[in-house]
Amino acid sequence: MKRIFAVALGILTAIGGFVDIGDLVANALVGSRYGLSLAWATIGGIVGICLFAEMSGRVAAVTSRGTFDLVRERLGPRVGLANLVASFLVTMLTFTAEIGGIALSIELVTSVNYLLWVPLVALAVWLIIWRVKFSLLENVFGMLGLSLVVFAVALWKLNPDWSTLLHQIAVPDKPGKEGLLPYFYYAIALFGAAMTPYEVFFFSSGGVEERWTEKDIRTSRVNVFVGFPLGGLLSLSIAAVAGLTLLPRGIQVDTLSGVGLPVAVAVGKIGLAVAILGFVAATFGAALETGLSCGYAVSQYFGWQWGKYVKPRDAARFHVVVLLSLIAAVGIVLTTVNPITVTEYSIVFSAVALPLTYFPILVISNDPDYMGEKVNGRVSNTLGTLFLIVILIAAIAAIPLMLLTKAGQ
Amino acid sequence: MKASDLIHQPVFDDTGRRIGVVTDLRCVQDGPLRGAMAAPRVHQVIVSRRRTGSLLGYDRREQQGPWLIRRIVRWLHRDLMVVPWESVRISGDDGPRTVVVTGPAATDRT
Amino acid sequence: MAEHSAGRQLDLHLHLLDRQVQDEDGRMVCKVDDLEFEVDATGRPYVTAILVGPRALGPRLGGRLGRWVASIAGRLATADQAEVPRIDFGYVTWIGNSVTIARHPDELPVAPLEDWLDRHVISRIPGSRHESE
Repeated sequence: MKRIFAVALGILTAIGGFVDIGDLVANALVGSRYGLSLAWATIGGIVGICLFAEMSGRVAAVTSRGTFDLVRERLGPRVGLANLVASFLVTMLTFTAEIGGIALSIELVTSVNYLLWVPLVALAVWLIIWRVKFSLLENVFGMLGLSLVVFAVALWKLNPDWSTLLHQIAVPDKPGKEGLLPYFYYAIALFGAAMTPYEVFFFSSGGVEERWTEKDIRTSRVNVFVGFPLGGLLSLSIAAVAGLTLLPRGIQVDTLSGVGLPVAVAVGKIGLAVAILGFVAATFGAALETGLSCGYAVSQYFGWQWGKYVKPRDAARFHVVVLLSLIAAVGIVLTTVNPITVTEYSIVFSAVALPLTYFPILVISNDPDYMGEKVNGRVSNTLGTLFLIVILIAAIAAIPLMLLTKAGQ
Repeated sequence: MKASDLIHQPVFDDTGRRIGVVTDLRCVQDGPLRGAMAAPRVHQVIVSRRRTGSLLGYDRREQQGPWLIRRIVRWLHRDLMVVPWESVRISGDDGPRTVVVTGPAATDRT
Repeated sequence: MAEHSAGRQLDLHLHLLDRQVQDEDGRMVCKVDDLEFEVDATGRPYVTAILVGPRALGPRLGGRLGRWVASIAGRLATADQAEVPRIDFGYVTWIGNSVTIARHPDELPVAPLEDWLDRHVISRIPGSRHESE
């Protein structure tokens, strides 16, 4: 009974924790412009993150080491450092976007300007990272994030023509008046939103925080292969409801309230309230994850003691890195730059940084020195290599497309 | 002397032609006993044309997947040489050394 | 341990450099940033110590960046840290996919930044001595 409960908790936490500010904004925005005709990109991203999260979870369970620890060993200190700098900057940008997202979500509830919430939010994020046990942090925010199921409820209540929806997913075709370049730009953005680099660092470091051993590989796989796809369905629901309610009216999503608008239309005020709760939970959870990931990446490269599983005094440098990252993120948000814009940039740069993260994971999960017998099988390797090629193409195309389309205009 | 004085330093043959860089130092733990362990002692120098990807392990292990990456890395390191220490001459007293291969080398990767 | 490891083949770059060093309780100490050699009677180098810290890592980063890192670290080092921090190879008890050493990290002078931050920043914040709850 206890086993079943633990497994269920893991799955539910994975579902509720899947979506962050990047997924919210990207899926709603794309849905309001393209309906579900870019769903293939989201689905591709979900398959990709499942594949690589499984690998990084397995690596953590077998080696008890975090990703960046192993990146330096396999790429060398020089390339590893370049990788660290790029990954750290992207994760910091995502952290900034999440902090902005939390403040925006609270503004939706209270109508008090989001900037005023930022210091309070920062303090709360830091306090929770400082004091709250890792598993409690994951479980609470994961479960609260399940409120986003209201998007699936909204989709059902809208009573769409399911065969049309399925046709849109299965046969990708951009709406007539849209250009080809923005279409692919948004495909890359959706990919970057689903497969953010920090997820891999966090998943493997989290496995070490929770003291996984080889026995936990199966649980980790269930979380990944059941929880993540279901979480991905939430992403698709966000796009679908935006497509059904906003696209016909020509409304484009460019604020967080726009993301929630379809739910208000379909389910009413209560639905919107639940959606906002989901926004707060998802962005807060993701802020904790990205903040910790900033600390994990730097500490693991340099070999410092890291993690919440030891007393803060025993991981002084780790906690200082997290604190400094938080201060920098807050500083950026307080410059009044639009948090939605920051989110959009963080997604695109995530797409650019993806090869840096996934290539080492693919190599390490194949290395018998670390993994013993638990190296990748043929399926993981074939799919992994395929995805690596796709990720490389997306990474190279991301910035040129962003410049050419002026970020999707 | 430090490992960084040798690793990635250029390697020349005895005509002065550059033949690659040092990518690794193959040791055996048969040196003086220190504490609980015998110190690793250099027996061979591994030289390759370039340094990229030399730590990924593919250049030395036969079966590591995935297939495409293994093919690419092994191609990059197709001229890998394992040079016995006796065939190597190191010059310089401090800092990065110059490495010259004076004797026969093997190309057996293991 | 000695009889287990005697005669074992190690590729220094692949198996020893950049590896995580931990103590026997699994606490993380540092990375193997560089290795120090002495030369034996037959002219072969053998490993005598693990070198740690930015002054050790700088040369391995290579080029201008490496020299810059090493010189800044050298300038920040205080008088009692004249040498590049080293862990004598005699403390090593196990080489696997990480390196295990026998002494507790607090007894080794390899992490001056950690100690400084611990003393001046972290321990001043309430709750730093306790595990999370």
